[in-house]
Amino acid sequence: MKRRAFAGYLRRTAVIAVVGGVYVFLLAPVLVVVVASFDGGDPVAGRAFLNFPPSSVSLQWYFEIQPRLFHALWISLLVAAFAAVVGTLVGVPAALGLARSDLRGKTLLGALFRAPLQIPFIVIGIAFLQTYYLLGNYFGFRIAGSFVGLALGHLFVATPYVIGSVGAILQRFDTSLEEAALSLGASRWRTFRRVTLPIIMPGIYAGALFSFMVSFGDVPISLFLASPQYTTLPLEIFHSMEFDFDAAILAISTLIVAGSLIVLWLVQKLVGLDVMLRSGGSG
Amino acid sequence: MKARWDLILLPPLAFSFLLLFGTQFVFLRAGFYNDLGLGRIGEQLQIDNYVTAFLDPFYLEALALNAYLSSVVVVCSLLCAFPVAYVIARMQSKWAMLLLATIVLSSFITVVIKALGLIIIFGTDGPINTTLMGLGLIERPVRIIGTLSGVVIGLMHYVLGFLVLLLFSVIQTIPRSLEEAAQLHGASRWRVFWRIVIPLSLPGIVTGGLIVFNLCMGAFVSAALLGGGKVLTLPVVIERTIVLDTEYAMGATLSAILLASVMAVNILSVVLVRRLRSARLVVT
Repeated sequence: MKRRAFAGYLRRTAVIAVVGGVYVFLLAPVLVVVVASFDGGDPVAGRAFLNFPPSSVSLQWYFEIQPRLFHALWISLLVAAFAAVVGTLVGVPAALGLARSDLRGKTLLGALFRAPLQIPFIVIGIAFLQTYYLLGNYFGFRIAGSFVGLALGHLFVATPYVIGSVGAILQRFDTSLEEAALSLGASRWRTFRRVTLPIIMPGIYAGALFSFMVSFGDVPISLFLASPQYTTLPLEIFHSMEFDFDAAILAISTLIVAGSLIVLWLVQKLVGLDVMLRSGGSG
Repeated sequence: MKARWDLILLPPLAFSFLLLFGTQFVFLRAGFYNDLGLGRIGEQLQIDNYVTAFLDPFYLEALALNAYLSSVVVVCSLLCAFPVAYVIARMQSKWAMLLLATIVLSSFITVVIKALGLIIIFGTDGPINTTLMGLGLIERPVRIIGTLSGVVIGLMHYVLGFLVLLLFSVIQTIPRSLEEAAQLHGASRWRVFWRIVIPLSLPGIVTGGLIVFNLCMGAFVSAALLGGGKVLTLPVVIERTIVLDTEYAMGATLSAILLASVMAVNILSVVLVRRLRSARLVVT
């Protein structure tokens, strides 16, 4: 019996070690960036990189953030908002149509709607770039390097998230609720607005949030579609890490981490994370 | 009285398919032209690029390295993610929600920031090397960034959160009563795990593994940054071909090869999961 208890103890310790290790591994890089951003060492560019843990604390890097980075942050927010809003406008009717129509080959259509998620993002970036070049060369349609060009690439990967999360809710939808409303004399539009929409709303929130975050964090699509005028923040950080390191990116990264925390907290307050998790996961 | 849902489907269908087929067609076609240097592209359709891509060991090695790294990450991430997902799924307290929320938060933060943190941690004068040297375990700093292990670490970080969430949703659907019943009948914890938990979550494990494989095959940021420009996986080679060498046609060809290999794995995964499902129907 004693040996059994010891084995149980050992097993529990091993499990805790693995689970704890995974959490440390997942969180440590983010924490390290936050801590390193408050480094007060010699303000020569790149010093913060060498000084971990920081020897003294200061906010100096926060004052070193170039306007260029704030501009990129603004563009990132605009592009992500575009992807989330337009993605919802395209995705919700698509999900409704897929769930409700009795077309043949619906599974194939659904798979094609989800196809953008199967294509590596870097390939998507290249495909859009080549298409924009073609449009520019043959039709004089200058979309390469424009805001719309960048945003369309992001929209392309955002829509499947909305379709996935709204579709997940529609699968469990009890259509008798709608039938009841209709038979009690509500118009079809009223039924949609008062019955259908409130039920699929968590899916819409989840889809829009996922779209926003995926767009906001993207590098490989923007890599090919951005221009000096319209570049995104992750891309700026990426270039700074590849070529000339600027410790101010630690500071702006910390601001983004704080922003993500606030968004997640708001989601928890307004919708509830469990609702999001249940309707999320676009497969 | 019937609503025309197929009509509602039409506008998003037209829009999405125009973007999908339009861009894919243009880029696949672009791979069949010739690069003339300085970003100019020839007039004639040909298959020279594909011949080069399949004969030049440089490109084949990039693809092989890609597949190798992705397989390593699939195995390692499944080993790490499964216990976490299982523990959270079987937890009966409000801590489970917090643990899940933490995973969601970490997967919401852009991969660039996480790569930045990983580079600081695993850098030659980062905390890991300093600690190991302080303990006298190593004499001089170990290089991790810019090596294959660096890229594996980066890719693991990229996929772990996602994999935990996916496995969690699968394990949650396995009724706890099955495990309790087996234990009441005298099965050891280990036996319950191998004979009940693992078989029932096998479709999830297979799907998760294949999705992770695909994510890693296409992963650009982790490979480029943690590889320090020294680990040349196919996505990194593609980026260089287009951005540094301005060989747009060759870049398109390589992208098409990457896309084809990912699609092949996707089709395989559909077949595999379907077979697993039907096999399970026979057993139960």
